[in-house]
Amino acid sequence: MGALGDWVWSILLAGGGVALTLYGVRERMDPERSVRRAVAAVVGVGGSLALGWGALVDEKLRGTAAGVIVAIVVSGVLFVGANRWFDQAEARWRRFGALTGGVIGFAVTGVLVGNRLLAWKPVPELDLTPWLVPLGTVAGAVCGLVLTGLTERRARLVAGLGFGVGYGVLAGLFIRPDIFPAMKIVPLLAWPVVGALVFGALAAGRRRQVLRAAILGATVGWVIGAWLVPALGTGTRAEAMSGATFLSLGSMLWITSAPPRTAEAQRRLAERSRPVIFLAPALVFIGATLVIPTIRTLYLSFLGPRGEVFVGLANYVDIFTDQEIVKLEKWPQIFTSALFYWGVGLTLLGIVAGRIRGRRTGRTFEPSGGSITPIAVGVFLFVWAVFAYLRGTIFNNLWWVFTVTIVSTAAGLAIAVLADRARYESVAKSMIFMPMAISFVGAGIIWRFMYIARPPTKDQTGVLNAIWVGLGRLSNSGTPRLVTAAVLVAVVAGLVWMAWRGWRGGAGGVVAGAATAILGVVWILYRLLGPGLGGFEIGPNGEVIADTILFIQETPFNNVWLMVVLIWIQTGFTMVIFSAAIKAVPAELIEASKVDGATEAQTFWRVTVPQIAPTIGVVVTTLIVLVMKVFDIVKVMTNGNFDTQVLANEMWQRAFTEFNFGLGSALAVLLFVSVLPIMYLNIRRMQKETVR
Amino acid sequence: MRRSRGAFALLAALALVAAACSGDAGAPETTSAPAEGTTSTTKAQPTTTQAAPEPADEEPDLAGTKVTVFGPESSDEEAGSLQDALDVFAAETGIEIVYTGARDFSDQINAQAAGGNPPDIAVFPQPGKLADFARQGLILPLPDDVDAAVQANWPAAWNAFGNVDGTQYGIPTKADLKSLVWYNVQGFADGGYEIPQTWDELKALTNQMIADGVTPWCVGIESGPATGWPFTDWVEDLTLRFQGPEFYDQWVAHEIPFNTPEMEAIWTEILDLWNTPGAVFAAGGSIAATPFGDNGVPLVEGDCMMHRQASFFAAFLPEGTTTGPDGQINTFYFPAVDPNTRPVLGAGTLVAAFRDAPEVWAVMEYFSTPEYATNRQKAQAARKGGGLSGFLSAANGQDMSAYQPLEQGFIEILLTADVVRFDGSDLMPAAVGAGTFWTEATSVVNGEKTVKEALDAIEASWPS
Amino acid sequence: MTATAETRPVRAVAEPPIGWRLYRLLRAIPTWVLWGLVVVWSIPTVGLLVNSFRDRDAQRTSGWWVGFVEPGSFTLQNYRDVLGSGPTGGLWDALLNSFAIAIPATVIPIAIAAFAAYAFAWIEFRGREWLFIGTVSLLAIPLQVALIPLLQLYSGGAQWTIPFVDKTLRLFPDLDLAGSVTAVWLTHTGFALPFAIFLLHNYIAGLPRDVFESALIDGADHFKIFWRLVVPLSIPVLAAFAIFQFLWTWNDYLVALTMIGGNREALPATVAIASLAGEFALRENLLTAGAFVQTVVPIAVFFALQRYFVRGILAGSVKG
Repeated sequence: MGALGDWVWSILLAGGGVALTLYGVRERMDPERSVRRAVAAVVGVGGSLALGWGALVDEKLRGTAAGVIVAIVVSGVLFVGANRWFDQAEARWRRFGALTGGVIGFAVTGVLVGNRLLAWKPVPELDLTPWLVPLGTVAGAVCGLVLTGLTERRARLVAGLGFGVGYGVLAGLFIRPDIFPAMKIVPLLAWPVVGALVFGALAAGRRRQVLRAAILGATVGWVIGAWLVPALGTGTRAEAMSGATFLSLGSMLWITSAPPRTAEAQRRLAERSRPVIFLAPALVFIGATLVIPTIRTLYLSFLGPRGEVFVGLANYVDIFTDQEIVKLEKWPQIFTSALFYWGVGLTLLGIVAGRIRGRRTGRTFEPSGGSITPIAVGVFLFVWAVFAYLRGTIFNNLWWVFTVTIVSTAAGLAIAVLADRARYESVAKSMIFMPMAISFVGAGIIWRFMYIARPPTKDQTGVLNAIWVGLGRLSNSGTPRLVTAAVLVAVVAGLVWMAWRGWRGGAGGVVAGAATAILGVVWILYRLLGPGLGGFEIGPNGEVIADTILFIQETPFNNVWLMVVLIWIQTGFTMVIFSAAIKAVPAELIEASKVDGATEAQTFWRVTVPQIAPTIGVVVTTLIVLVMKVFDIVKVMTNGNFDTQVLANEMWQRAFTEFNFGLGSALAVLLFVSVLPIMYLNIRRMQKETVR
Repeated sequence: MRRSRGAFALLAALALVAAACSGDAGAPETTSAPAEGTTSTTKAQPTTTQAAPEPADEEPDLAGTKVTVFGPESSDEEAGSLQDALDVFAAETGIEIVYTGARDFSDQINAQAAGGNPPDIAVFPQPGKLADFARQGLILPLPDDVDAAVQANWPAAWNAFGNVDGTQYGIPTKADLKSLVWYNVQGFADGGYEIPQTWDELKALTNQMIADGVTPWCVGIESGPATGWPFTDWVEDLTLRFQGPEFYDQWVAHEIPFNTPEMEAIWTEILDLWNTPGAVFAAGGSIAATPFGDNGVPLVEGDCMMHRQASFFAAFLPEGTTTGPDGQINTFYFPAVDPNTRPVLGAGTLVAAFRDAPEVWAVMEYFSTPEYATNRQKAQAARKGGGLSGFLSAANGQDMSAYQPLEQGFIEILLTADVVRFDGSDLMPAAVGAGTFWTEATSVVNGEKTVKEALDAIEASWPS
Repeated sequence: MTATAETRPVRAVAEPPIGWRLYRLLRAIPTWVLWGLVVVWSIPTVGLLVNSFRDRDAQRTSGWWVGFVEPGSFTLQNYRDVLGSGPTGGLWDALLNSFAIAIPATVIPIAIAAFAAYAFAWIEFRGREWLFIGTVSLLAIPLQVALIPLLQLYSGGAQWTIPFVDKTLRLFPDLDLAGSVTAVWLTHTGFALPFAIFLLHNYIAGLPRDVFESALIDGADHFKIFWRLVVPLSIPVLAAFAIFQFLWTWNDYLVALTMIGGNREALPATVAIASLAGEFALRENLLTAGAFVQTVVPIAVFFALQRYFVRGILAGSVKG
């Protein structure tokens, strides 16, 4: 059997692959593409043969392939089946009735049997319980067929009465003795009355059919009074049977008291079923994997560590009073930090530049590259100054969101623009995208080789420290230092020439770029010849000792080095999206702008950027959500030590390492709630665009 | 609207059916769940602990049963040899035993237990975690006969790590010896240095080496996310030596605050030693930058003479390094203040059971036997392909010939120690033992904080 | 691309004559900057690749760039160790498991999300907008919160104790999925859906309306429109999402380890590779080779589907 099964599986797999390929070839035969089709066919056949062979030799492959095929076929059949089922509502109403009745019968008996409420053992050693489900299905189908055939009101009611009593008695026969209810008269009478009154009142309030609602309410009340309130297992079969009969009767009467559907109503049913059929699978999955756990998390966040006592908002209070989560005591240092002064200085510079330009054009502030750039950089540095000294998990997480979102968006946009005009564009983009394909375990080890520091007397194995220490050596060496200085002087000369030509030619951008570069190079030259450059220390005997940077340990900027890893990974994502968006900007717009005499920079800012603004919105939103949830990098590289904690890892540690599910859940809720407004705004914006 | 709601209810009912039908009542198979490798058919029933396992003689019964083991050891050598040792027992009894190792076992076992999918047996590297699980009723106490059988297998001090509030839950199965100093044999011979017998002698030796122009120590505490832990081992070893086991137990249990003067004195003692000019190969702040495993090469090359590290450090020596009195590298016991006492800082793993079944108890019992230790040692030595295996056990009556001379010495220390204490950071709450204890130590070593500041910060971080 | 490239000489002619040489130099700057960035971006990966061919002591004592100076030190030993037989049967088995997880976990959510995205985009029903907003806001849920409830569902089914009357109803049977690859598929499917619906909806909603209207006039129902029109037209965005989802599921560590737990036979390559290093990262050198072996597959997938990818994202996000 085993060997035969293997053969059957492999032949099925291989044959299926071949059949699919042949189908594809036949369907899409196109003389221009026939070569490609032929290649595809060969690959398809080869692949399916390989799969078939694999299934033959390897249990695991076979199991996986079987699982995939079964999952796809079953979901396909269910989906197509549901569509076909509701197609019948419009065309063949009675067939639809039979199908629906069958499905309901199947569902009801299935739930009852699955919960071990019904059992059928004619003789002790013969268990026919499984047969109850097909029985119920047939019974339901018959009922559906009959009811959809009856149009006269009285006939429907009589049929409902008959089916109700019949099914009730039948079900009563199969009820397992250990759930016989010990009924009590008061709840038995009181609950249906209460139910009927409540439902009836509700229906009256909403101007629906009061009598039907009352029937439904009474039935629900009956379920409560007869099955949920009494103790189970001590009653008699008579009690069980009456319990089942009245339930069944109530349900059938509720169904049959509705007027038969008109053709129009049948058509509407078919139509309205579609969103449900199309959405149900997704909603079921989302409900089970996201909604229910979220509700549970919300609930747990009000309980103690192990979920046994209600503590109210104590967990939330803990979050905001925890020294590690909100750490404010260093705030005065913000105003003494270099970052702060650079930030404020650059911002002021930008404002002044804008004012000067503005005087020329008659506006109070003229936005241009020369004014916006310093302001943007200045504000960025200022925010960094704030986050570098307002510490704790929450501020650290916000720092991540701020930095990674901005840098990754800017870098992705820049690379996309640059690549747009470069040769071998796809190669360049693939290289930038590559980090996305690397797992976080891989990223952790990769960046260890970038950041690691070793004892000063040994060779550095980390790239960055090797460069850093190398610079230190260079600036303490003799001839190499002078050679480097000479080269730098040459570079400065070249830049000055370039700026001069640019000035003569009236190209402001060239002048500004060259001037910035000159400043940078001159500064390096100064460090090299003056106080020294790179990582070194002068030892007690005047010897030069390498001085490494502990990228992962030195707070607070070790966080920045971790952010670099995420930027490295995520920029591929933003770059690809921006690249596509830029290509979608209509060429005519660019043309028109150039004909008007705009420079490339002006064209970019005034034409391209507004055109891709929606994309920027999408990218920024996605990044914010994603960075807010950042987890793996911190977990792999520091596990939150050295003041690098972020919310997701904090939550993980509280819940999984310390078993404090209350606090962990509260952190998760905080995380979710803080992202919600951004999501909401973004989706609303997109919805408006869709309406357009 | 009403109708679409009805249809919705119908679909919900369908989902219920699909769910309920394939339940346990033997209903026809109607769900789409593919039959994919669902192997762990056993569910833990921690509440039913009363069943006494069958006597060990009736072992044939166990053939065909399956036991899953989950633990932190994951590399080819460790996990592979653990499985090899289990396979020996599996061949004898017919029990199928599968070991799975995962790097972040500590978090995973919590998730598995909370999610209702625990293994049959878990290998705990931390007695604190085991106690936590025991108090929550997640793991099972040993049945009396198993308890009796294992008590004889390991020294009482080690069995005590598996004892929670007077009930035995865990069984020791692997030991690490932490109170060790690895030294360069040739360097000691050249300098005419003696093995120090007391802490004072060790300090004197350090100073003498500095005077001779030799760097005595290699220290490095970098270990990725766990940077700082080697420092905590020094603290624990010295606490055990300076203050004795009672103080140690109270300190670990936080009955004594972390920032006591005694603790400050110990930290200062260590830092003074490390910060003595010329004492440490990786000077100053770069101690925190030196990966702890990178101390092997300079030790062999003679850049430094001594390195205090646990028995598993053998694996970090460069390939081909010879060990033992006649080799390149040897070890001595990290000396005590009083040469007449020999307190030992250890670590190791303990197994505990989640499922009450005779085959589970049989495997549990096997874990503590000298046969297991010997089988594992042989397998691990073979997988290592020479040198020290990195495995160590304190089980009584092991086949000593499976060990190299140096390892035999370790076992000797383990078996003769009068006081054995488990690595304290493994016993403390994770927020301290795997958090602030490491990070504050790093800050102190880097010179960013004073000892007092660091100790206060650790004390403040202790979960209430 | 070609269109914009052709326009440039026009601009160059209009430029004041400051010298062609300088102009060409300046023209090349963006290209140089780009390739500079590419190099910077690749350095970490190149380092990994080079180090994966060096043994442990070499990795420990010298930087990977030294390998170029002493090419003799290159060895395949790391790869042999990684792919050779270990306690987990070597990496081959784990790679197979990764395929067994990633392929279904990519295919299933695509199918389900396509139905849902179509419904959100083109079927009118009440509460559509709010349901859509609700679905997509679930993007913000950190998936860690869902791990334990899901594991409980897989390992013990779901039961609901009706409040006040203390009677328990079984809602989902104990299928004993915990420890199986199936549990990982289902989990990934659920987690992927908000983003998948978000992405596919944007694309499908942007398809031209007249296509649907003419089909409706011809008497096609939603199912036919979906199958005959929407699916073929959406191939690009489906491929785009397939890449993302494949990358995520292939590289996933946490979900797989939690759902599979102690069932060694089913663990994927990420877990196997993370385990290689062992306690105290003793065999850290193996991680280099392991990480590289694992990266090869998603990169191949990316290269294979790259063309679709660009087109898919284009329509998905730009048109909105």
